[in-house]
Amino acid sequence: MKNSFLKSKHIAPLFSLVLFLAVWQFISGFYNPVIVPSPIETWHSFFSLAVSGLLWEQGRQTIIRGFAGFGLAVLAGTPLGFLIGLNQTAASLFQPLVVVLQVTPLISWLLLAMIWIGFSRVPLFVVFITTLPLIIINTIQGIKSVDLQLLQMAGVFRVDKLRIIREVYFPQVIPYLFAGLAAALGTTWRAVAMAELLSVNQGVGAGMAVARTNLETAALFAWTIFLIILGLLTDRLLSYLSRQKLNQWK
Amino acid sequence: MIPLDYIGFNHVYKSFGQTSVLDDFSFSVPAGRIICLIGPSGCGKTTILNLLTGLEQPDRGYISGTANLRISCVFQETRLLPWKTVSENISFVLQDLTMLQRQKLIDLHLKAMGLYEYRNSYPKTLSGGMKQRLALCRAFAFPHDLLLLDEPFKSLDVPLRMELVQQVAGMWIKNPRTIVFVTHDILDALLLGHFILVLSAKPTTTLDTLEINIPPGERVIAEEPFPAYYNHILALLEGRGEHEHA
Repeated sequence: MKNSFLKSKHIAPLFSLVLFLAVWQFISGFYNPVIVPSPIETWHSFFSLAVSGLLWEQGRQTIIRGFAGFGLAVLAGTPLGFLIGLNQTAASLFQPLVVVLQVTPLISWLLLAMIWIGFSRVPLFVVFITTLPLIIINTIQGIKSVDLQLLQMAGVFRVDKLRIIREVYFPQVIPYLFAGLAAALGTTWRAVAMAELLSVNQGVGAGMAVARTNLETAALFAWTIFLIILGLLTDRLLSYLSRQKLNQWK
Repeated sequence: MIPLDYIGFNHVYKSFGQTSVLDDFSFSVPAGRIICLIGPSGCGKTTILNLLTGLEQPDRGYISGTANLRISCVFQETRLLPWKTVSENISFVLQDLTMLQRQKLIDLHLKAMGLYEYRNSYPKTLSGGMKQRLALCRAFAFPHDLLLLDEPFKSLDVPLRMELVQQVAGMWIKNPRTIVFVTHDILDALLLGHFILVLSAKPTTTLDTLEINIPPGERVIAEEPFPAYYNHILALLEGRGEHEHA
């Protein structure tokens, strides 16, 4: 009975959240608030940031930069993934570059972007360059997994290539693309905050930099919670869109 | 030299790696008829169809009478697009038609197959038999000169199979075009085929060619000559019969 109560869809996550807050509250009792602020102090900080308007203003900057970089990566990465997946020459040319993009450390991109394009555009560039390989690789994986029997069928009925790409490849790539988008969104909020921390004076990352300088650890926690909420909300939204798109026929 | 209104394999050789599937394989049948290929599993029947569609090329020899033909096909698996509705699955293979012409053609074939009321459903909601009927619909709707049927009724129960065989016969009577029908079921072949090619195991050779002049749709399997044909084909497939009997 107790187990089925905990297994319920909504109760178990709520229980784990309450447990996490209790452990956090307990631990914070042993430390100075500058080292580990309590959940209540963090909430107060979050609340005052929200009331002052700083949370929304800085958050808005971060969201715009994050979505701009992410959107550009989707716009560039999806066709590039199709090109690499469908064309052997393009695969030979571009696939090694995609691997280089994927393994280059985030901090290297950050520092290079500061030199190359100036500080204000660093967050957008860093989000773009770190999420681009995730989109490309997932699109390629989707293309590689396309049902060959369906392609053969379309070939026998002499369906033209463009329609085959649009109506046979694309629907089968969508689940992989959504997986790529989910991974890329997770990376987006981490990358944009880190880039803002080091390169600009607006945005959540910049807010975190100020909090660190002033030793406002509760504010640092509040900004972190804002980023976690942002990540969770966008992830849920993406899951919803994915279900809407796929449930009809899957 | 085979005339153009004949479809034929001329000394065709086809191997996959070390396995020889067709070894000097030849046959020729008049166009506009139903040709049944019957043989043991894995004897290379599907390879013959793939050569006809152009999905495979012969290693040696040539195939005559198929150049410039519009080819339609029903595969062993239904090969439907699960993200498209029943109507859209047929529409997918129809090109160079106005939307109105396309819709008319789709509705005509869906009504003939009893699928019209499911036109907006997705394949996941259809039964196995309905999916196979949809695959047949798609193949019939596609403007074709040659229809290839690759054991399309393999996984279906006997009553449904008989129903679909009758549908194919009915379609041919309305619009007689060349059909190459691969099957491992003697009854299907006897019900449909004007020519029945009995094939051997690999490398494939023609054990016998039977010609039946009774039109499909008018055949009573329990009456002669069908029981004799049945026993003859069965004997050939079991390796007991005499070649080139009919």
